[in-house]
Amino acid sequence: MTEHVITLDGVWKIFGANSGAAMEAIRKRGLGKAEVLEEFNCVVGIADVSFEVKRGEIFCVMGLSGSGKSTMVRHLNRLIEPTTGNISVMGRDMLTLSDADLREMRAMNIGMVFQHMALLPHRTVRDNVGFPLQVRGEPKSTRWEVSQRCLDKVNLTGFEDRFPAELSGGMQQRVGLARALASDPDVLLMDEPFSALDPLIRRQLQDQFMKLSAELNKTTVFITHDLDEAIRIGNRIAIMKDGRIVQIGTPEEIVTQPADDYVRDFVEGISKLKLVFAHSIMVPISEYQPTRPVDFDESPRAHHGTDLDQLIDIATSTENVIVITGDDGTDIGVVDRATLLKGIQGGKA
Amino acid sequence: MKDTAYQSPDLSVEEFAVENGSYYAHEFARIQGKTGFSWSWNTMAAVCGPLWGAARGAWGFFWMFLVLELFALVQIGRGLWGELGADQLARYERLLSNIAKREAQAADLTAAGDAAGAAAKLKIADNLRAAADKALEAATAANSTAVAILLTGLALMAAIKLAEGFYANTAYEAQYLRWRSGQKAQSGMSRNGLIFGAIGLLAIWPLTLVRFTVAKPDEALANVTGGLLGGRLPITEFPVGKEYFAALSKKGDAGFDWLANNFGDVFDGVTVGIRWVLDGLEVLLIQTPWPVVMFVTVVMALRLAGPRVAIFTAASLAYLAFMGLWELAMITVALIGAGAFLCVAIGIPLGIWFGKSKRAYAIAEPVLDFMQTMPAFVYLIPIIAFFGTGKPPGVLATLVFAMPPVIRLTALGMRGVPEATKEAAVAFGCSRRQLLFNVELPLALPSIMTGINQTILMSLSMVVIASLIGAEGLGALILEALQYAAKGQGLLGGLAILFCAMVIDRIAQGAYRQKTGGH
Repeated sequence: MTEHVITLDGVWKIFGANSGAAMEAIRKRGLGKAEVLEEFNCVVGIADVSFEVKRGEIFCVMGLSGSGKSTMVRHLNRLIEPTTGNISVMGRDMLTLSDADLREMRAMNIGMVFQHMALLPHRTVRDNVGFPLQVRGEPKSTRWEVSQRCLDKVNLTGFEDRFPAELSGGMQQRVGLARALASDPDVLLMDEPFSALDPLIRRQLQDQFMKLSAELNKTTVFITHDLDEAIRIGNRIAIMKDGRIVQIGTPEEIVTQPADDYVRDFVEGISKLKLVFAHSIMVPISEYQPTRPVDFDESPRAHHGTDLDQLIDIATSTENVIVITGDDGTDIGVVDRATLLKGIQGGKA
Repeated sequence: MKDTAYQSPDLSVEEFAVENGSYYAHEFARIQGKTGFSWSWNTMAAVCGPLWGAARGAWGFFWMFLVLELFALVQIGRGLWGELGADQLARYERLLSNIAKREAQAADLTAAGDAAGAAAKLKIADNLRAAADKALEAATAANSTAVAILLTGLALMAAIKLAEGFYANTAYEAQYLRWRSGQKAQSGMSRNGLIFGAIGLLAIWPLTLVRFTVAKPDEALANVTGGLLGGRLPITEFPVGKEYFAALSKKGDAGFDWLANNFGDVFDGVTVGIRWVLDGLEVLLIQTPWPVVMFVTVVMALRLAGPRVAIFTAASLAYLAFMGLWELAMITVALIGAGAFLCVAIGIPLGIWFGKSKRAYAIAEPVLDFMQTMPAFVYLIPIIAFFGTGKPPGVLATLVFAMPPVIRLTALGMRGVPEATKEAAVAFGCSRRQLLFNVELPLALPSIMTGINQTILMSLSMVVIASLIGAEGLGALILEALQYAAKGQGLLGGLAILFCAMVIDRIAQGAYRQKTGGH
């Protein structure tokens, strides 16, 4: 098995009757989104998207409405056919799968959670959760056993025989999550699962999801329009704009090194205290030029993975500079008050 | 004048009105400054009437006052040159010539020595003279009303002009608001509009005036054109007889005959199929002893739809039995049952198809409209030609009329299934068949059930018409009542059909409600 569970390579999606010709023109003449619309009456859904997702990783895709993030995630289980490019999931080329194989992939390996839940109103919660197994042809006893287990996982024990309309929005989305988990898929696609919920419920579900995710260790692609959510949940974040990925990185990289003004605007309001770590603001110990005499032996030590929040705590308990240590315990850098304040402000020291 | 409605409406109003911008800005400000109607006078509109509306693009104004002014003009025309006593005058002249004839005959008789005969003729001539005098009197009387009609017409015209003047700005302000909000509305004056308006006036006014003010409009018009286009111009009736109609209907006859001769086997096959369903139902309903049928029906109503429907069902069945209509009612129910069964069996698959394919639906829609709006008697004719008379053709006629609702509502239900739900099902690996049976049909079911219900009720309304081509049952009873004007029989038969319909409907609805757990 490859290390990368999901690989996208140069994927384009152009909507419209003339998409083939439009693609050709983009390749040859490098047309932009507006020109494609004008010349071919085609809409560029996603443009040249490439990324890999590692096993067990939570990969967040963040973007505003219309940025192509929901279109992108639908390529992963081929609900939408790409115009060009390669998509592989779990080492299988999604684009060459036969219809039957594709259905099997969807039923066995890829679970999906939708923004508007999309539960079947005429079925009980239990039968909704068991639906992917029914599609696969599992007998009722298996279906019921599995859906019971999944409902227990999302804390919905006791609601098995209710209908979706009898549940609140948050509970419905937990049913949606249980349904996605029912087939025990390797890959979980979450298309803005918590966007339609009110903030308090959203936070609860995020926590619950993170707990579940740590326990189940599923490779997850998580779509959201909320950078806070992306930072809370994601191991890595991709930021999309106009169908393109403008930056991919860890939450820290995104916050400390925004690729362009667009990302910078997003990052502006985000609190950096828990996202920025000592190693990214410290001055290497060899380059450190003290403004007044310091005794490194008296200084408190902190691991280079300490976040700003903790560094502030340390700094307020001492007059000295803080010495940053590497993984092997050697001193590698220094953080003094000025460096720390600069780091909190957001700029590099 | 202080503006209350907008900060600076003048600019945009002037841009809208173009010609006379400042006048309209002022008037609109007055209109907008008041709630309710405000008296704003537009001389131009009053003088030019419909043409003002045409030039300004106020087409509602144009058409309304075109008709009103025409009405006033007709009155004025009748007063000025209308031949008001024309028919009476013609009668007077006819009578005079008759009198002259009688008198000549009398003179001949006197010359021949038949005094009695001559006296009789003269007596007739006297009577005729009295009638002629009366006609002349009526003609002069009619003529003397001309002045009154003329005055009425003038007064009417004056009132219309006043209405035009006072209404124009209000209408124009409404147009301005449409223009402002970016809807299609003309701004400024348009020469094309004016020309079109003038052409409209010329096309409508003169001919209509002639038609209503002259006694013989066809000849009068020919005189005006100086006889260049023939002795009379047919404006009162279209100058084509039945020749095209006859030719085409003969072609139609030939076409139907050809079909009936060449596809007889197909039509026979259809008849056999329908008869098969019909016979099955009739055996079930008629050959089975009546207590069994009644018992099963009432128990079914009780189990499926509850005690109230069961009581109603029992009462309805009792009515049918005591009126001696039991067998007729069962024949009717079998007829409806066969019709409804075939409607559902054919209609639901078609509805699914039309719900999924927009193109198919676009083609089917006019056909469905045709099936529903075409009077039943029209398609009874080819049905008789192809399938003969009796019950199976009756069922077929029912199909034509009763199938569209189930098709339409199935398609509607299919299209009403949320895309998101379908997408989710596909994302979990559903095949097309699984999607149809697990998602689309269950979600479309309420709509489909409504369609089936409609179909059953419409089948019932076809029972009487089907009896025209020999389908027996309660319909035939009512048809007979119609032929002999048997009011009581008609009423009782009608009630029987009504009860059959309500029992079937209530049981079906109740069953559906119980299944969905709804109310």
